[in-house]
Amino acid sequence: MKRLFPLLLLLLIAACKKEKVNPAQTSTFCIQSAANGANYTIKVALPDDYDAAKKYATIYVLDGKDNFDYVAANAKKLSNELGKTNALVVCIGYGNDRAVDYTPTDAKEGDGGADGFMQFIKNELVPKMEHDYGADTQRQSRTILGHSFGGLLAAYAFTNYNSVFGNYIMLSPSLWYDNEILLKLEQEHRQANQANPQLVFMGLGELENSGRMQAPYAAFLQRLQQNYPGMKIDSHIASQLDHMGSKNPNILKGLRFYFQNKASN
Amino acid sequence: MKLLKYLPLAVLLMSAVTAYAQDRTTKPTAKQLAQQQLTIEPGIGINPMPISDMLVSNVVQYNIKKRLSVVSYSSYTFNNAFKRTFNNIHTNYNYSLSQKLGVGTSVYSKHMSHTFALLAGVKYTAFKETLDNPEFEKVSASVSSFSPDLGLMYNLKLGTKKYFFSYRMYLPLNPYPFKTRDINAIDGNLAYISLELGLGIRLGMPSGVK
Repeated sequence: MKRLFPLLLLLLIAACKKEKVNPAQTSTFCIQSAANGANYTIKVALPDDYDAAKKYATIYVLDGKDNFDYVAANAKKLSNELGKTNALVVCIGYGNDRAVDYTPTDAKEGDGGADGFMQFIKNELVPKMEHDYGADTQRQSRTILGHSFGGLLAAYAFTNYNSVFGNYIMLSPSLWYDNEILLKLEQEHRQANQANPQLVFMGLGELENSGRMQAPYAAFLQRLQQNYPGMKIDSHIASQLDHMGSKNPNILKGLRFYFQNKASN
Repeated sequence: MKLLKYLPLAVLLMSAVTAYAQDRTTKPTAKQLAQQQLTIEPGIGINPMPISDMLVSNVVQYNIKKRLSVVSYSSYTFNNAFKRTFNNIHTNYNYSLSQKLGVGTSVYSKHMSHTFALLAGVKYTAFKETLDNPEFEKVSASVSSFSPDLGLMYNLKLGTKKYFFSYRMYLPLNPYPFKTRDINAIDGNLAYISLELGLGIRLGMPSGVK
C-alpha cells in the first residue's frame, strides 16, 4: 500500500492537471467593435508549424476566457490523433456581459445583443482573421462553439447567420430562452438554410434537470434531424453529468465530431 | 445450626444480587444516553442553493464504539419543487432516490452530540419535461439515471433523552464543484447541499427515560 501511495498521488495530480497552451503558439489582440462599441480581447491558438501563407480552418469559441486553454489543447490533440490539420482556435473574450451579447432578444434573462455581436464577428473579426492569420475564407471552414448562453448564440448563428459558419458545436444551449424563441427563428429561416451543407453537434448533460433544458433540446434536435438534408448531425447526452459538468466532455465529443467530418483535411 | 454454616455464603450471594440490581436501576448519565447504540432520525429538508428541491430523509446510526459509528442515509427528493412550469416547459415528474452508507465519528457534550460521517452510495434520478408551446409541436424528454453519491454529513443530536432533536447537513463531493456563469443555474455539488431537521429516537433506552 505504501508503494502504491505515490503512484496514486501522481495519478491524482495528473487528473487535476489543467490544459495549458504553449504561449509561443498564441496571439492576443483587442478590437473595439464598430457594431456594438464593445472592446473584445481575442486570443488565437496557432497550429503547430503555423505558416501565415497557408489557409487554416477556424474554430470561434465563445466564453473565450474560460474555454481557451481547454479547446486549444484538445483541438491540437484530436487533430494529431485523427491525422487532420489543426484549426486556428479563436477565443472571444467578453466585451459585454454574456447575457447581452449571447441573447437574441430582449427578455427577462438577457438584453438581446446577439445581433450586434454577430455583426461584429461577421464584419470585423472574421475579416481580420482572414487578413492577418491566413484563415480560410470559405463558410465550410468556420466553426462556432458555445455552451449554455454560448450554445444559444451558436444556435442563433445557425438560424440567422447561416452564411457565416458551416459548423456548429452547441453545448447545453439555453433554448428555453424567451419562450423558445430559437425554435421560432429556426422555423422562419428553415427554407433558406436547409439545403446548406453543415456539421452540427449538440450536447447536453443527462442530469440537467432544472425543468428547462431537456425538452427544448429534444425539440430543436428533432427539427434539425428531420428538415436539413444537407446537414450531418450528432448529439451526445453526457451520462451522470449536469450543466457545467457536461461542458468539457461535450467539448471533446464536439471537437472529435468536427475533425472526423470536416470538409478538407 | 447446620444452616448457620451457609449464612456467610447467603449474605454474599444476596449482596451480589442487590449490588447488581442497584446497578441496573441507576439512572443513566447524559453521556451514557447520548452514546446509546442505535438511533433512527427521520427528517425533512431542502437543497437551499437555490431553494428548489424538498426532501424527506432518514438517518440510522449505530455506534460500534463511543467514537465510531456506521451510518445509513436514505432520502427521497422532490426536485425543482416550486417551478414546475417555465416558459411553456412543464415538468411532469422530477425526483431522486438516494441510499448511502458510511462511517462516522462523534464528539459528545453535556446535552448534545456531533457526528461527522463520510457516506457513499447511489442516487437514482428520474424526470420528464414536456415542451407545450402552442406555437410549436409538443415534445417530451425523459431521463432516468443512476449516479454515484459521495459526501460528508454533519449530524447534530440535541437532547439526551429517548426522543431528541436532529439537525443534519449533507455536503456532496460530486459532481465536482464547478462554478458557473449561467445566472439561471447553480451547478455541481453546490446544488445538492441539503439542510435537514428531524426528530430522533434512541432505541433500547431504559424504561422511564422519555
